[in-house]
Amino acid sequence: MITARGLTRRFGDLIAVDRLDLEVRKGEVFGFLGPNGAGKTTTVRMLAALIAPTSGEASVAGQRLGAANREIRRRVGVLTETPGLYRRLSARDNLIFFAKLYRVADPAGQAERYLRLFELWDRRDAAAGSLSKGMRQKLAIARALLHEPEILFLDEPTASLDPESARTVRETIEELRSEERTIFLCTHNLDEADRLCDRVALFNQRLIVVGEPAKLREEMYGRRTVVHLVDPRPGIEDALDLPFVKGIERIDDALVVSLTDPDRENPLLVERLVELGVGVRYVNELRMSLEDLYLDLMEDDDAPA
Amino acid sequence: MHRLSAILLKEWRESLRNKMVLFGVVFLPLFFVALSVYFVVEGGRAADPIDQIVLFNASLIYFMLLPVIIPLAIAVYSIVGEKEGATLEPLLATPISDLELFLGKALASVIPALVVNWVSFGAFLGATRLFVGAFPMQALTAPWIASIFGLSPLLAFFSVLVTMLVSSRASDARAAYQFSSLAVLPGVIPLIVYSTRKTLVDLTLVGLEGAVLLVASAILLYFAIRVFSREQILTRWK
Repeated sequence: MITARGLTRRFGDLIAVDRLDLEVRKGEVFGFLGPNGAGKTTTVRMLAALIAPTSGEASVAGQRLGAANREIRRRVGVLTETPGLYRRLSARDNLIFFAKLYRVADPAGQAERYLRLFELWDRRDAAAGSLSKGMRQKLAIARALLHEPEILFLDEPTASLDPESARTVRETIEELRSEERTIFLCTHNLDEADRLCDRVALFNQRLIVVGEPAKLREEMYGRRTVVHLVDPRPGIEDALDLPFVKGIERIDDALVVSLTDPDRENPLLVERLVELGVGVRYVNELRMSLEDLYLDLMEDDDAPA
Repeated sequence: MHRLSAILLKEWRESLRNKMVLFGVVFLPLFFVALSVYFVVEGGRAADPIDQIVLFNASLIYFMLLPVIIPLAIAVYSIVGEKEGATLEPLLATPISDLELFLGKALASVIPALVVNWVSFGAFLGATRLFVGAFPMQALTAPWIASIFGLSPLLAFFSVLVTMLVSSRASDARAAYQFSSLAVLPGVIPLIVYSTRKTLVDLTLVGLEGAVLLVASAILLYFAIRVFSREQILTRWK
């Protein structure tokens, strides 16, 4: 749905985006993660045909960037970092105006559909500036969806929203995924990215890594089992001489054991501990968060070569 | 055309809800009409024919100022308002072309200015007839008619172009308003010359003013179109 090859954007001497190679598949929620100033917004602006790349090429919704920019803009929806609504116009007038710009067949009908979908119908005549932050964000998402785009670029959709509004937005993204729309999600909320995204890309002017969150974690940290012991004896780590154990670390009353295939090896591990006369309180998997992965990779990226 | 009319309607809806713009579009013309009528009445009373002419010229100058002031007020809030509300990027993300956006913004300011100006001029003629009985035809000459109906669109367009260029660099409406007010001054200086003349305005002066405005507008248009491109708006506008 989106492919980029060597996409680069310079602003004078500053390289905002450096030779970005990317592929986003149809119907996936693709998380684009990176620190402030990493070039995420510049990337979105290039892919949404708002600004031109300095070099490289990209195709969005089957259209070549640069050759069919207007068509690309017709096929994508963009939620910018700030809602960017006309504060003096009513919620409905905001949507009708954009529906007309997209040449939607029935602007008023489509505006009503999305106002009802996002539970804003009762506030349809209220000036956009008088709506709560959450309502404004929902209205901005509705605006991005009015023309039923194939691809949706969402820049920090839940930033500065209260938990309830953020959940509504996340549920909306889940619904959009079920409609097979492709979603390009820029976010700082790594927990959100972990929950919503099929794949994530870590980006800081250049692409650092891309993949499914679970697989990236596995590649980076392996899989580790935490065994909480009833009576932790000294030296138990040395006694645990199983061939599949790649490493053991003792943390308080628990053993953190690195394994290759925990589904198969966990029962054998517990069996061996029981043989050694060690009581097992419970066993769980040590799950590194996407945040751990992000921070470790960004730290590596910042480190001098 | 469809998108252009959408922009125009949106701009006008927003302007009607903006007290500052509304003040410029409604109160100022009323004030100018009242002043013009006053000058005509005073001119009628003046014994010296030269004084009469000066006062008649002064009464009409307001209908050359309105096409400069009104678009300035609308365009400042239309462009700086978009910047302040961060509404430009969602707008630019639509399939609207740079030209449609530029024309939409320009016409949304020029059209009301001309309508208000000509309606005010009509109101002035009506009020004059009411108070004086008839407008002294020695003042309402062909050069003045040509100025009000021919130069007004040029003045309005010149004012909008100046305001667009200034607003693209200004971050708040007040600053843009002040700078634009200064920047349009060269356009209205010849009008001030009109009002101080002790002879009736002639067509040569109107033609000269028109030619100067045309050349200045053409130069400004070249820069305004460059400034009003997506790339410039998103990467250069402050």
